[in-house]
Amino acid sequence: MDFLGFLVTQCLNALSQAALLFFLGVGLTLIFGIMRIVNFAHGAFFMLGAYVGYSAVHLTGSFWASLVAAPLLVGGFGAAFELGILRRLYRRDHSAFLMVTFGLTLVMGEAIRLSWGVAALEVPAPKSLSGIVFILDEPFPIYRLFLIGAGIVVALAIWQFLDRTRLGLLIRATSQNAEMVHALGTDVRLVRSAVFGIGCGLAGIGGVFAAPLVTASLGMAPNAVIDTFVIVIIGGMGSFAGSLIGALLVAFVQVFGTYYFPDLALALMYLLMLIVLVIRPGGLLGKEA
Amino acid sequence: MTNSYTRRAAMRAGLAVMAAPMVQRHALGDEPIRIGMPLALTGPAGEIGLQMRHGAEFWAKELNAKGGLIGRPIELHVEDTAGDPATCVRKAQLVVERDNCHLLFGMVLSSEALAVVPKLAEWNAIFMSSDNGDGRLTGSSFVPNFFRANISGPMETRAISLWLRKAEFKKFYALGMDYAWGHNSIGVFEDEVKKAKKDLVGTVYSPIGTKDFSTYITKIRQSGVDACFLVLQGDDNNAFLSQAHEYRLGDKVQLITSIVDLNSISAVGDAALGLAGSTRYVFTIDNPKNKAFVAAWQKEYNALPDVFEGEQYQACQMLQAGIEAAKSIDADKLRPALESAAIDSIKGHVAMRACDHQAVQGGYIVKVGKVPEYKTPIPQIIATLTGDDITPPCRQMTFED
Amino acid sequence: MRILAVVVCVLALAPAGLPPYAMTLLTEALILGLFAMSLDLMVGYTRLLSFGHAAAYGLGAYAAGNLLLHTSIPLVFTILLAALCSGVVAIGVAWVCTLASGVSFSMLTLAFAQLLYAVAFKWTAVTGASDGLAGIPRSPGPFGITFFEGRAGFYYLVLACLVAAFIFCRSLVRSPFGAVLRGIRENEAKTLSLGYNTRRYKIAVVAISFTLGGLAGALYAPFAGFTNTELLFWLFSGQVLIMVIVGGTGTLIGPIIGAAFFMLVSNLLSSWTDSWALFFGAIFILFVLFAPQGIWGLATRWRSLSSTG
Repeated sequence: MDFLGFLVTQCLNALSQAALLFFLGVGLTLIFGIMRIVNFAHGAFFMLGAYVGYSAVHLTGSFWASLVAAPLLVGGFGAAFELGILRRLYRRDHSAFLMVTFGLTLVMGEAIRLSWGVAALEVPAPKSLSGIVFILDEPFPIYRLFLIGAGIVVALAIWQFLDRTRLGLLIRATSQNAEMVHALGTDVRLVRSAVFGIGCGLAGIGGVFAAPLVTASLGMAPNAVIDTFVIVIIGGMGSFAGSLIGALLVAFVQVFGTYYFPDLALALMYLLMLIVLVIRPGGLLGKEA
Repeated sequence: MTNSYTRRAAMRAGLAVMAAPMVQRHALGDEPIRIGMPLALTGPAGEIGLQMRHGAEFWAKELNAKGGLIGRPIELHVEDTAGDPATCVRKAQLVVERDNCHLLFGMVLSSEALAVVPKLAEWNAIFMSSDNGDGRLTGSSFVPNFFRANISGPMETRAISLWLRKAEFKKFYALGMDYAWGHNSIGVFEDEVKKAKKDLVGTVYSPIGTKDFSTYITKIRQSGVDACFLVLQGDDNNAFLSQAHEYRLGDKVQLITSIVDLNSISAVGDAALGLAGSTRYVFTIDNPKNKAFVAAWQKEYNALPDVFEGEQYQACQMLQAGIEAAKSIDADKLRPALESAAIDSIKGHVAMRACDHQAVQGGYIVKVGKVPEYKTPIPQIIATLTGDDITPPCRQMTFED
Repeated sequence: MRILAVVVCVLALAPAGLPPYAMTLLTEALILGLFAMSLDLMVGYTRLLSFGHAAAYGLGAYAAGNLLLHTSIPLVFTILLAALCSGVVAIGVAWVCTLASGVSFSMLTLAFAQLLYAVAFKWTAVTGASDGLAGIPRSPGPFGITFFEGRAGFYYLVLACLVAAFIFCRSLVRSPFGAVLRGIRENEAKTLSLGYNTRRYKIAVVAISFTLGGLAGALYAPFAGFTNTELLFWLFSGQVLIMVIVGGTGTLIGPIIGAAFFMLVSNLLSSWTDSWALFFGAIFILFVLFAPQGIWGLATRWRSLSSTG
């Protein structure tokens, strides 16, 4: 493998990793930005997406169907949870959210185990995406290129959504000043439900995208939670652009760091987080200090 | 009957709680033989724990239908440890002290076993391991009340190495999970490759919970090796195999793994094709006892028995042989009987070794391939090694030749 | 004070009445109670939400484990020494973490705890890496006392540590120092403007909290006879935080009850059903919805209701 081939391959690896991390991070940061909730259950929604994706593929034979079904179902479930339970807690201390989402993680984890069993499940990528292409003489999976593309598309879509649509505007306004938005006549509660639903839906679709790479398994949730936190903290909680930058930074550091310093693989992410927080306590693009 | 009562004192006072454990009760008659089984039923190791549980339940049911063991019904006390060593110690103590079990099965992870074994003497309990692979359990961490009925990590690595001596591969890479089992097995492998006068080009360890193996796959590709030794399990194993398949790594590099099991094959599908490796038990082992076992198992569970189900069944049979010889479950009488226990198990002839309580048994090398009778790929035996070949010297983890 | 004395007396009688397995559970519940109470100083009294308190426990446990395995320092001194180790390390950690506040502070504590976990996972010589340290003995106490080595004796040691720590914490929160902490909790800016160096107070409370948390960890090592990296993992930090909240923040007693509740319920449930996590999680959700002040909050409300009724 020549150096250029190596470099390009590693960069593409990092970008595909960043895409997956981004799906996780953007949902969490949106939720935090609006509701100041640290959604401990975010990993569980990610996992649910993977399992729903598995079932959708089995029922319909189509991976694309699962890409639609998973975010809708997972997002719907998230919105329902917000409506039913989280809504009562806004006046309370933030520790209430921590405990409720912690409880939700436990409940969801066990519910998934009861519904789908304890064995890991195969979620195959569609045939059209299963091959490899040669980039500078190195084989690279088409599926990962698809992931990078999907990541870009979703990032653009969210950006445009926040920037141009009415709901997007309301979301940005609510994250700045919920009182004012309420005073201007909008039902802030609906905005919150929508955001929580969207955030969970994004985690869900992330799960479907990840499943062909890692299989749908019960270990996905706790693993994903800590990764998501790190990205969002580095990027800045509540910042959409921050989640993108955080995902890219973590992915590149992981990919190249693990290559050159494999012994530090476990510690790399946390070292990065520590360094960023010491320099900028709110995260790179965060508002809090 | 186990009572279920709760006593609550004032706010901070002690709470003595007894709950109905998950017990298999059997018809009256003599005092039952109570066997405690603390193991992971939830969490990442839950899959293996469930297999072990099935194996033990199957054995108990079979034996109880024939009148029990030394005329007494077998009672399994299963507790969930979620794969956490601290919980495992607590649950082991629970089954020993609350349920009066002085025989133990279970404990999926070697870290759980290592935490419990120092306490076996105090509890006067004997533990028959069916799954723990860590070499130290019959080495530096050996205690007299520990017995290992299964193939250990060093043994399976040795099986692979012996097979590789005759195979055409010359240059190897090794990838293992970054904890005791990974280091242990790769250490043995390194030693073996040297003795075979072949070349171990590089070694790398991945943290537990690694989701993206692309960097490791790159390293393996770059090294120009013709075979790669893998010491991975569970989700990490599945993720690696899926991703290696993505990069078509298997086209250039023969992947050789420490444990090949049916669960993993079903999780990754075609990505497992061509995978070679050691296995501790496979349903295709060709002897009458195994054939009968597989048939009976399929009748009971409507599925083929997997690695840990077979291993657990064998472990149960070892314990059974010891109890039948000693005609007692008292630890002091049972220990010597177990030390000389030998059975014709579903894996052939297996004999316990007195010096370190390791069951001497043969190993199998399998390769995953498609076979018309089965819907999914299955492991097919491509080499068999004898117990003497693969069992290390007493209390050792490495081999002399 | 009287109620405290009564409760302590009842606890002291436990070895006489409870079967051995229940005694083991109770001892562990008290150790966790001490751990949770130590966190309450930060969370309940100063509003410093730490997501990394497992670090205190782990530091204490590993320090004690190493001392007990490799030296012949008497048990009681080992435990105190290990607790002190934890406190000293905390000063450095706190110095960095208090550069930020609010959510960022919490995240920094998480980062540190995970780094410590990563280090412990790899540092085989000191921590035994992923296996941890096993076979930790209970060495004889000072002056050749072997009382603490037995099950009942060790229980009394734990009880004594918990009671002493509780009395210490209670005096601390009622002292002027405690008043400043509460000031920081309610309105840090104002407290700062009154002339207090709030950062120093925060560092101090983290150090004290870590010392007591380290004491709990140091008691755990000889109790269980082993330590491992799970004691440093973020899940454990999350669990102890839940214990504090379930028990009732800012009450000292609440977290102790919360810890006992957490441990005993999870034990009960996991013996009863494979799906224990489902019920466990549901219990937390119900708690949040219907008992926001935690168990202690419920108890005090019930007490005031019945006294006025």
